[in-house]
This record gives sequence, structure tokens and C-alpha cells, in this order.
Amino acid sequence: MTGLDSSNVSSTTAGGQPPAATPVSKIAPPVTPKLSIWEWVKENLFSSPFNCGLTVVTTVILLAIFRGLLAFIFNPVRQWNGVATNLRLMMTRAYPEEQYVRIWVCVAVILILTSLSMAIWHAGSALSVSEVGRKLLTTGTILVLFALLAPFSTAATMLWLLVALVVLGFAEFLRRSSRGLEGQTISTLTLLVLTLSGLVASLWVIPYGHHSYIPKRDPRVLAEPGTVALSTKLPWTLMLVIAVVAYFTGRALRDRLPANATRITLIVLWLLAPPALLYLVLRDPAFDMNHVATTDLPIFAAYAIGGTALLSWLTRPSTGELGRIVSAIILLAGFCSFLTPMRMIVRIDMLALAIFALAAPTFSGGPRAQKRYVASWIGLLGVMSWLITAINTPSTVSVPGGFFIGGMSITLMVAVFTLVISFPLGIALALARTSSMPIFRLLATWFIEFVRGIPLITILIFFSIMVPLFLPRGMHLGEVAAVIIGYVLFSSAYLAENVRGGLQSITRGQQEAADAVGMTSAQKTLFIVLPQALRVSIPPLVGHCIGVFKETSLLAIIGVFDILYIGRIVIPGQTEFMGSTKENVLFVSLIYWIFAYQMSKASQRLEQRTGLGER
Amino acid sequence: MTDLTTQERVSQRVPLWRDVVVLKWVTQVFLLIVVLGAMWFLANQAGDNLRARNINTQFDFLERPVDIQLSEGIDTLPNTGGRALWAAMVNTLRLSIAGIFFATLLGVVVGLARLSDNWLVRRLGSIWVETLRNIPLLVQMIFYFSVLTTLPRVGLGTGPINGWLHISNKGISMPRIFIADGFYQWLVVVLLGLIPAWLVRRYRQKIQDQSGKNTSPILWAIGTIGAFALLGLFVHPAFSWLGAVFGGIADLVDSLPNAVPQIGFAALAVGCAAVWIQRFLSDHRSARGHLSLTDDDWFRIAFAAIASLAVVFVVVSWSGLSAWTLNSSRDLFEVLSDKFNVDGAARPFDAMRPDIIQKGKFPNYGKSGLTMSLGFASVFFAVVFYTSAFIGENVRGGILAVPKGQAEAAKAVGLGRGQILRHVVLPQAFRVILPPTGNQYLNLTKNTSLAIAVGMSDIVQVGTTVFNQTGMTLPVVAIWMLFYLSCSLTISVIVNWFNVRMKLVER
Repeated sequence: MTGLDSSNVSSTTAGGQPPAATPVSKIAPPVTPKLSIWEWVKENLFSSPFNCGLTVVTTVILLAIFRGLLAFIFNPVRQWNGVATNLRLMMTRAYPEEQYVRIWVCVAVILILTSLSMAIWHAGSALSVSEVGRKLLTTGTILVLFALLAPFSTAATMLWLLVALVVLGFAEFLRRSSRGLEGQTISTLTLLVLTLSGLVASLWVIPYGHHSYIPKRDPRVLAEPGTVALSTKLPWTLMLVIAVVAYFTGRALRDRLPANATRITLIVLWLLAPPALLYLVLRDPAFDMNHVATTDLPIFAAYAIGGTALLSWLTRPSTGELGRIVSAIILLAGFCSFLTPMRMIVRIDMLALAIFALAAPTFSGGPRAQKRYVASWIGLLGVMSWLITAINTPSTVSVPGGFFIGGMSITLMVAVFTLVISFPLGIALALARTSSMPIFRLLATWFIEFVRGIPLITILIFFSIMVPLFLPRGMHLGEVAAVIIGYVLFSSAYLAENVRGGLQSITRGQQEAADAVGMTSAQKTLFIVLPQALRVSIPPLVGHCIGVFKETSLLAIIGVFDILYIGRIVIPGQTEFMGSTKENVLFVSLIYWIFAYQMSKASQRLEQRTGLGER
Repeated sequence: MTDLTTQERVSQRVPLWRDVVVLKWVTQVFLLIVVLGAMWFLANQAGDNLRARNINTQFDFLERPVDIQLSEGIDTLPNTGGRALWAAMVNTLRLSIAGIFFATLLGVVVGLARLSDNWLVRRLGSIWVETLRNIPLLVQMIFYFSVLTTLPRVGLGTGPINGWLHISNKGISMPRIFIADGFYQWLVVVLLGLIPAWLVRRYRQKIQDQSGKNTSPILWAIGTIGAFALLGLFVHPAFSWLGAVFGGIADLVDSLPNAVPQIGFAALAVGCAAVWIQRFLSDHRSARGHLSLTDDDWFRIAFAAIASLAVVFVVVSWSGLSAWTLNSSRDLFEVLSDKFNVDGAARPFDAMRPDIIQKGKFPNYGKSGLTMSLGFASVFFAVVFYTSAFIGENVRGGILAVPKGQAEAAKAVGLGRGQILRHVVLPQAFRVILPPTGNQYLNLTKNTSLAIAVGMSDIVQVGTTVFNQTGMTLPVVAIWMLFYLSCSLTISVIVNWFNVRMKLVER
């Protein structure tokens, strides 16, 4: 329905109404002659005998599809309560009920970040009232069709028709009342909040029924009439309130804080949120304070102090070749540390320090630049040590069987982690492939073409089976981690190709200008070439994100409990819901569709807002 | 020391550790060593772990019997691992080729629908695209599969057209045309026909160039090949002597010592390097024959020489590679010799109608029809629908990319609607459409690997079963990668060939 509505905008502007003030109407003609409904119908549906035939045939096909779909959904044979009862399973798998507040904390944090970002980045646009009226008119028409075509009882049909008529009447009222006031607009965010409030309010009012499935109880399925359980409707109401409050806070703060700093802070928070929420909130590690104090903190302190000294020396512009040699020696030591037994965190920290040291001349400058660089090293080191310790600490949340989350959460987790890790890797590969150094180019080209030539599922199967064999004895890696490594390699190859397209669009003049002001090649790449290249490749990158999100469904094949696996194997395995695969898979596809469609729409809006693709 | 002239400063070499070229090459060689070292380390580790579990990584499982039943294909009960993988490859190829064909047809329809004058058709097109593009392929596939499993059971009177087309929960069965024993001899006749076809085309082209009349040279060439194909139906037994020839070649290859391919490979590597260096040098020679090489160029030449020597070393020290080359080429010629050694009455093609047989209590499909299992059908529909949405967008974009003036100019000259499309718009749009659509063909081929989720016997599913039974994970994965890489390569070569042809037409 959303699809019909929002894509309506561009086609109906050609039909008669004045183009909306939103950037959505891309191909709006300068002057559109006002057509009445009948003229519009004649123009667009019955302009020639061939067109008449086409219209009739398409109408029949559309009605048949719509009716078939409704007959499928509302067939009394369908077991939709399989989905309703197992919603918790589909979202988080077997996360313990008494710890569920952690899940809500995660949702709240993500919602707060989303609302703040929406406020800071000025999300949303204005719709004219007549536009809203027209959209509601479409919705009402679809509702009428729905009421007439669905296999309902007479009373239900009447009820739905009544609802449809109310919507239509309201739409017509809006259209008529907006005749005089052309400038009157409503924010799309207001509409969004109104719709969501309606949905949340319906949880309190409409008797959807109270469904729950507890395997240790008899009867295992509880389906009471009435509204949904309090443990569902209360948190969701709270979430809505939190999101709205966060949005208004963001708006209030927007004008008082420096814009750039706020945006960078938000981006850093977005990057930190997934690992922190997963490994600190959801996993709830039982930190061994003794170990932390005697091992982890000293290592951190040593690296922080040593790194500070080293980096402040290296970022001094007067430091010459000696600095480079020292950084190379640290890198070599980092690699050699794998040959002798020591703590993994020591090796990782040393490699990270070597990379920071090698990049130091690029960021060198006055005391401010030095301080900033050292601060970012300590920040990264802190986050890294914290996370590595958290991941290596056993969890207090006991989840039966395998990984501690599942369902939709693991889909999102794998997608986010894969994207975040493969992003720098993909950029590095793209730079290597376009570099003038033949061995780098050769290695990158072979890797990219090899990975792009084989299907993802073979990579995932290979990694889930083979990674345990590749590891030295005594080292273990969970299946999910192994799969993420394989997925990261796959994703980075495709990402590299997208970035390469952007890199190739940078003209030589840019590089020559950078050379002329005396930048080193690292500075040239980091500050001149990459920002422009990434800007150009935003549309394919968003497409890549959607692809990665969609293809996480492949985890179901190798037996990870993602939402598809639960819908296809686990729920039909419950004796109460045998044979409910079709319903579950349809529900899963609806969820995937909503996410992917919203992302693609958002990318189109972004493209129009930044004016990409018009240059 | 201190009062050096500028001239002397320039001529003085930079110290080695500050020379950018040297540093670049040191970094590169260092990275190469790290990558090779990591791979060697991992392989070593895997080897140790595999030996610890008593798993050997030989390819002899291809000749040993396995217990696999395929859902459909040229051999549903293969007796060796190699045969099973081969039958599975044929399944994947069938699926990909049929998928590419139908996805293209449907995609063009979708793309045209999105550009239609008719509002309703346009709407239908965009619903199609937006729905299918945004749902994961695997979810769609599983949904189709779960819907198809509710089809009625197979009975002796299963329709829709009993004896010709059967649809039931055992799959879809239809008449089939298949390659019979005489096919390879017939193929030789057709291949021979290519020479006269090429001559005919050149001749007709000459007439066209001279007279200016349309002599349709391509059609004539196709007609010639068709005539040879027809002729081949009658004369193909004349080529059965080729069987003896191939048998002789197989014996010859069998008698060759192991050193022959080794020397061949080594010579190839050294020759490639030599040719590359020679070309490199001639490229850097000025018109007067003066050679000017930078340090970077010297490093490149040295690297090429060292790389070729490394290949020679690997080839000489790894005798298994040359033995494998000899064995597999002998096997190839033996198979060819078998294919030609058939009696003269064999037909190149045969056709059969599907049937339903009752063995025991339950009726089932017989072997005579072309049967598409439910898994095959769901994978097929899923990849066709999914890819059609993407191809439809390519088609739409390609047609929109043709400037409007082109169609208007053609209209002004007096061309009709069909002519404008055929001669003006589509040829230009095709150039834009082809590259992304080629990518979609690659994606479709790779996407058929999801068949494992619905139990259709494609190469991934059968490969998984094989390594579960034999423990040969690495060899099976190597076969997968080789197969998919060669599929990708073939498709890219074909698409690129068309691309180059289209570009030549441009100017």
C-alpha cells in the first residue's frame, strides 16, 4: 500500500494537480493543464483502441491477483496465529523473558539515535494538504476494493466498507477544504507519528488477542481473546513516546550546538551502538574484575601511555624519516608476534598502533592536531580493549543452544557488522586495484574477480565448515563469527567495485592540484580523492547495503537461526502449527520488503537531496 | 661538502631508504610475502587438522561409488561421485540457461510496461518491480516451494493434458527432445557447414556492397547452416571413423612421459614473460631506438622474470599437476572416441512423451518425459521473476537514455512506429541495456546455487552431499569454484563480444 501511495506522487503530478513543493516530483512539467477526472481517465487509460484493450486486460489481471492474494490470506485454513504466537521467537529467538528489558533498552537506544539523527539532519519534507487528501483517496479506494474482494462475511464487509467510506469522506473533505489555501502543508514526520500513534493506540483498543507460546507449559499455546499482552503494548507505547521526545530534544539542541561536532558525535555513536548494545547489553558479560585489574587494564595503560608518547613525537612535522622507520619496525614486530605465544589483545593492539604510527605523518601538524590524533588513538584503544574483553568474557544470559540472539536480531546484527567491517576493507581493495603499484593491483584484482565469480552460499558453506580446520589448535571461533568473516570478504569485493567506479570519476586535475599544494600521496587520497569518490558512489553503496541486508537470509541455509529459518523450520515444527510454512514465509517476506523498500526509497530521497546523478 | 652545485645535487642519488620507488617495491614484496605466508600457514594448518582427523584430500572420490539420489537430471542414480557432480552441473546449466532466456523475455515485457502510455499497465509494472526486487530471492523461492507442495497428488489421470503435460506434487512433466547417439557425428557435419556459410555471407555482402540492394547476407549464412544441418540427418554415419582417430590420440597421450607437459608449461611461462618483457622494452623505446627506463620499470621487468621462474619451479616440483593434465586429456579423447564409435543407424535426436507408471501401490512419473521437480520449478520461477524485475529496470533505463530527438527525427523522416523502435530506438538503447543485463545474467547463474534450500540437485546441493559422505570438503569446494568461475567467464566473454560488436556499429 505504501508502494502505491508514494510512487503515486510522480505519476499523478503529470495527471493534473500542480506539482508539489517536495523534491519528489522530479519530472514535473513547467505548466500542467488542469484535467478533470474523466479527461484524465480518457488520456491515460482509453486513448486508443489498443489502450482500451490493454486497460481491460490489465484490470482483469490486477483484480485476479488482488483477489487471489486476499483469498489466500483470509482463507480459514491459514494458521496466522502461528506467526502471532511466535512473534517473540521470530524477533529474538529464545532470549530469556525475564531479561527482556535488555531488548527494549536496545530498541530505545536505536530509536533515540534515529530520532536525534532525523532532527539533526532535517529529515522529512512538507506535503501539501491536497496531496495528503489525494493519498487518502487512493487508500480509501484500495480499502473499498479490499472490502469487496476479500472473502469476508457480510457483516465484516459492511464494517470494512464503512471504514473505507469514512476514509474517502475525510479525504474529500481535505481536498475541498484545501482549495483556497494552496500554501498549507503538513510535515511528513507529523503524518508518520500520527500513523504510528494510531497503530500503537490500536494495540490498546482493538482485540487482536493475547497469543503466547511457552514450551514448558500445558497447553503450550495460549490464545486468549482481548487486546495484546501488556508486555507488548506498554513497551511499544513507551518507545513511541521516547522517540518523539528524543526528536524534539534533538530539534531544540540543533540550533544551539555546533553542527559539525554534533554530526560527528552522532556518527560515532551510530558506529559504537551495535557492538556496545550486542556485547554489553544483550550479552551481559560477567566481567572478572580481578582479571580486568591485573591484565586488561595494565595492557591498556601501557599501550595508551606508550602510544601517546610515540604518536605525539610522530605527528610533529619535524620528525623525519626516523619516524617512518620506527613505525615500520612496529608493524614488523606486530606480524612477528604471531610466531610466538602471547595474548591476542597484545598483538591486535600492536598492529593497530603500527597503523596509527604509519598514518601519523598524514595527520601531523600543530599541537591541536597532535592532541586530536592522540585522543582518537586512546579512544579507539579503549573501545577495542573493552569490546575484546567483553567478547571473551562468558555471558550471564543463558540462552539454550547456540548463539545468544536469533531471528530478526541476528539478521540485523550480521548485516550491520558485515557492512561496517567490509567498508574499510572494500575501500582499501578499491585503492589497491586502482593503484599504480603492479603487485597490489594484481592481488586486489584477483581477489575481487575471484570472489565476484562464485556464489555467496559456497563461501558461507566453506567458511562455516572450514574455518575450524584453518585455526591453530586451541583457538576457537563461533559459527556466526566464521560466517561473518566469509560474508565480509564477499561484501568487500563488491563494495570495492562500487568505490572504484567513484574513484574513476575523479578527474586528474584534482590530484594535480593536490600535488601542487604539496600534499603527500596519503593526504591526497584521504582528503581529496576519497571524499569525492565516496560521494559519487553513494547510490551504488546504498544498493549494496540493501543487497547485503537481503542476502543475510542465506544464513538460514547453513542452519543459523535467523528469521527465515525460524519461519520455515522451527514454527512448522511445533505440533500446533504444522504446515504453516506458507504463512510464516509470507510474513517474513513482508518484513524484509518493508525494510528493503524503505531503504531504497530513502536512498532515492538522498540522491535527490544531494543532487547526485544530475551532474 | 656544503657548497654543492645544483647540478651535483640532482645527480647525487637519493639514499636507498628514501627512494620512493625502492620503498614502494619493498612494501609490495612485503605484502606479497605476507599474503603468501598467510595462505601457506592456513593451508598447513588445515593439512595438519585434516590428517589428525584421517581425512585425505585426494580427488579419487570422483571414481568411488557414492549413495546419492538426484531430484532430476541426466542421471538420477549416479554410481560414482564424479558422475553425480557432472549430472548436478548439467542441472545447474539447464536452470541457468532456461532462466536467462525467460528472465530476458519477461524483463523486456516489464521494462516496456513501465514505459507504457497506459496508467494501469505502468502501475502493474512498478508493483511487479518494487515487490520482487525488495524481497530476498531465497524467501521468494521458499514461498513458491511451499505453495507448490500443496499441488494435488499424482494419479494415473493427472492432467492438465494427460499424456502430454502433467502437473502434480511430484513436479511438472512434459515431452522432451534429447540428444541421441548420432548427435556428435551430426555436429561435425554442422561444423563443416560453417565454412561454406562464411563464404556465402562474404559473397552476398560483396553483391550488396556493389549493387546497393539488400541481399540479407546473415539470413543466407543461417540458411546454409540450416541446409547442412538437414543434410547431416542423412549423412552423419559417414563420420564414425573419427572415433578411431580420437582413440589413437588417446593412446598417444597415454604413452607420453610426465616430462612433456612439464616442459610445455615451463616453456609457456618463460615464453609469456619473455614476450611481455620484449613488448615492455619496445614500448619504452623512443623513435630513435633510445631506451629510457626508470627504476620502477627495472623493478617491473625483474618481477616478471622472477614470477616466471617461480612458475617454472612450481611446475617442475609439482609432478601431480602434469600427471593430472595428461590423465584428463587422455580421458577427454577416450570419451570423444566412445561418442563417435556408434553404429550407423543411430539418430542424432529423439523425442519422447511423458508417462505415468504404477509400480507397486502409488503411481509415479516414468523416465520418458522431461520432468521438472518442484524444487526445480520453484528455483526457476524465483530466479526468473526476481531477475526480470532487475532486467526490466535496465530496459527502462536504456530506453529512457535514448534522446527524445532521435525518435522525433525518425518520425519526421516518415518512419512508422515499429520502424522507429526497430531501427532507431532499440539499437541505441541496446548499447546501454547490455552491460548491466550481462551482470544480471551472472547473478542469475550464481543465484541458482540457492537451490540447496529447496532440495533441488544442483552442484552445490550434490557437492554438499558428496562431502558429507566422503569428507572431501576442499576438493568439492575447488570444483564448485572452478565451475562457477568458468560459467562467469563464459557469460562475460559472450556479453563482451556483443558489447564490442555494438561499439563497432557506433562509428
